[in-house]
Amino acid sequence: MMRPIFRVARATFHEAWRRRFLNGILIFAILIIGSSWVFAYLQPGAELQMIIDIGLGSIRFFGMLIAVFLGTRLIPDEIERRTVHTILAKPVSRAQFVFGKFLGGVATIAVNLVVMGIAFYIVFAIKAPQFAAAKPEDALIFAAMYSNIAKAIVLAFFEVWLVLGIAVVASTLFSWVLSVIVTFVIYFVGQMADFFQQLSDPERGASKLAQILLGTLYRVLPHFEIFDIREAILQGTYTPWSTLLQIIGQGLAYLVVILLIGYLVFNEREV
Amino acid sequence: MAIRTDNLSKIYSHDATGRPVGLIDLSLAVEEGQIFGLLGPNGSGKTTTLKLLLGLIFSTSGSGQIFGHPLGSNATKERIGFLPEGPYFYEHLNGMELLSFYGTLFGMGGSRLAGRVEELLHLVGMWDRRFIRVRDYSRGMRQRVGAAQAMINDPDLLFLDELTSGLDPIGAMEMHELILRLRDQGKTIFLCSHLLKDMEPLCDRVVILDRGEMCQSGVVEDLLRVENQYRLLLSNCSDELTQQLQASAQRTEAVDDQLAAYYTDQSAALAAAQQAAAAGAVIEALGAHHRTLEEVFIEAVGGEK
Repeated sequence: MMRPIFRVARATFHEAWRRRFLNGILIFAILIIGSSWVFAYLQPGAELQMIIDIGLGSIRFFGMLIAVFLGTRLIPDEIERRTVHTILAKPVSRAQFVFGKFLGGVATIAVNLVVMGIAFYIVFAIKAPQFAAAKPEDALIFAAMYSNIAKAIVLAFFEVWLVLGIAVVASTLFSWVLSVIVTFVIYFVGQMADFFQQLSDPERGASKLAQILLGTLYRVLPHFEIFDIREAILQGTYTPWSTLLQIIGQGLAYLVVILLIGYLVFNEREV
Repeated sequence: MAIRTDNLSKIYSHDATGRPVGLIDLSLAVEEGQIFGLLGPNGSGKTTTLKLLLGLIFSTSGSGQIFGHPLGSNATKERIGFLPEGPYFYEHLNGMELLSFYGTLFGMGGSRLAGRVEELLHLVGMWDRRFIRVRDYSRGMRQRVGAAQAMINDPDLLFLDELTSGLDPIGAMEMHELILRLRDQGKTIFLCSHLLKDMEPLCDRVVILDRGEMCQSGVVEDLLRVENQYRLLLSNCSDELTQQLQASAQRTEAVDDQLAAYYTDQSAALAAAQQAAAAGAVIEALGAHHRTLEEVFIEAVGGEK
């Protein structure tokens, strides 16, 4: 049951590293993260904030870019190159194939995020103590940052995997260009899910139609903003693991539904 | 029964005359242990048939079974092998890794898989090139390793689409020998090709498709046999002899610089041979006339048109 999934995932992982755009995005991300301390000097007194904003922001943004461009190519490339024919002619179900492709993408993104995370940690470990030393009152906040940054990176993993899932499913439904656009739109609109809830509030004068439309968007769209805990990190607020697990749980639940849709679509698709 | 289809159809669209485009009402019965040829020109519906049988696409109507199981089921896939036309594989793998990859999809592993991979690479003449990556393969090498991956699970039924495509004459001959050997081992071979000449010595039974429809089917020997026709092939014919033979034979035709004369009566053919020999011509061949698959095909398609 699981073996074909892992074999497809492994092949997908190895194939993914041959995609030049992926390597390009990773190198560019490392350059941005690596130079974040230079930008920190642009905002005297808020250097730490700049490093964290640029570092974590880059991990999330470039991770999302990789997820979109990788996810929307995983299955279409197999169909266009006809490698899917020899695989599906073997005892590999379409569900195993879709899940294997997704898992291969998950592993590829994980490695990318780990590399970006290490780059960020190196910059943070070298530069942050210098900036923190200048503001002794922030010492406690600074101490909490290391663990909160780790948590932020863990959340970035799940956020980007969710984007990957959406990209894979979009690619089974639409052409490549359209699936890229759809994934980007869902991602950016999903960042504003809470905003839709506020707009649909009748006490704020929302019409009946606006309540239905915006309320539906709020319920249907993934809430990507929950994965962003940069504010908590900057304020040094303690982010408990229970909160983290709750966020991860929400992401995984959404992912399961997304992959199920992907399977149902691909199961009917002719290759 | 290895394969059975009943009125299997796949309609993609309709042409300007309203005629369906795709595969129309194909009913097949392929016995186990046969080499079965699905023949026809490009666009006749061969690949569509193959994809339907493999469960890669879905029929518009009709049904099919392989070894009694529904098309595309895992129970079917366990017992079949498939070589697509102009096969594509993961470019980063070498020959050995490629076969191992496909083997693991069947749950194979360890020494059993390693042994099978080695055996197949030897069989298709790729053992010495086992570490070359697929991206550096020639068309012929892809075809060879493609045939090997199709056999990784020691299948009972092999689907081979344009088997000799990209192979040089020696490679093609080796593949033909391999097919015959597999048939002798009791395997069923389902060949798709537009190269009728290549298929003629291989196939036990054939179905000829044209524009999505079956236009001829049967045992190859029966299809090629022509009742009551004898052929006399001569070289070094004088003009006078040629005129005499044209008058006495059912029909004559020039074959390169030779003359072929056809008779419905065996004694008439023998008499003509004696006459030709007396006139100084060289008798190249004399015997019952067999058609070629190409002739059968042209006759079938011509009749349809």
